[in-house]
Amino acid sequence: MIKVNTEPYPWHPGMTVRSLLDEKLFTFRHIIVRVNGEYVPEEGFEEFAIQDEDDVIVLHLMAGG
Amino acid sequence: MERYLRNHNAISETEQALLVEKRVLVVGCGGLGGMVIECLARIGVGHLRVVDGDVFEESNLNRQLLSSTMNLGRSKTLAAQQRIMAVNPLVQVEAYQTLLTEENAPDLLKVCDVVVDALDNIPARLLLQQAAKTAGIPLVHGAVAGWIGQVCVIQPGQDLLSLLYPSFNETHGEEQDTGTLSFTAAVTASWQAAETVKLLLGKTGLNGEILEIDLFNSTSKKFKIN
Repeated sequence: MIKVNTEPYPWHPGMTVRSLLDEKLFTFRHIIVRVNGEYVPEEGFEEFAIQDEDDVIVLHLMAGG
Repeated sequence: MERYLRNHNAISETEQALLVEKRVLVVGCGGLGGMVIECLARIGVGHLRVVDGDVFEESNLNRQLLSSTMNLGRSKTLAAQQRIMAVNPLVQVEAYQTLLTEENAPDLLKVCDVVVDALDNIPARLLLQQAAKTAGIPLVHGAVAGWIGQVCVIQPGQDLLSLLYPSFNETHGEEQDTGTLSFTAAVTASWQAAETVKLLLGKTGLNGEILEIDLFNSTSKKFKIN
């Protein structure tokens, strides 16, 4: 089990940031991902492997006023 | 005073008197800033310093409280000043029609108790965070895109904006794709105003957390990021 935005979510072998975003239907173009506090740049989404019990935060990047 | 009767007892009379002595800088008088200014003037913050270099455009009318068909092409800070004077003439207003720059930031922040980030682009927001840090003044940040808003309180020495804006090559975010909706700006700005008042009164508020409000899914969530 991992945490995604503070909520429990089932982990499976082979899970990457990209596959998680796809599963969770996080389709926004501007998105900020941190795994256990570490910032994962967009170019690393495909390769960054998520481990069981990881804490994942996904935030929108926004600056409108 | 009858004007503030309905503030009591959520705000005590002692706290009301304290608010009258306080000075808040609001940087940006658009969708967020207009509503922040409205809330702070009505609750009775004594001194408001408002900053914006822009004039109103037709595309502002969907969400910006201070804009109307009557003031298109006119200064946003002038509209803010007129609105505050109409709503609460007891509030002392200083209006600066200028963009925030490294040069003018120290003077604009001088003798303020709290700074509100109601800007609309990432470089200016980072500049304001640095200026608030240098001045030792807490910063209340808000941003919106579509149905979603974010708010956080940044104490001097904290650097929450680098968590929200980790990439140095972006100037704007999701709002470029989603636009910005009236109620999202109003809710986010109201939350900023509430955090501002709590700071002014020494009450506990957001503390190192990022609040994300999702009006589409009817949720709000606080994230602590290290």
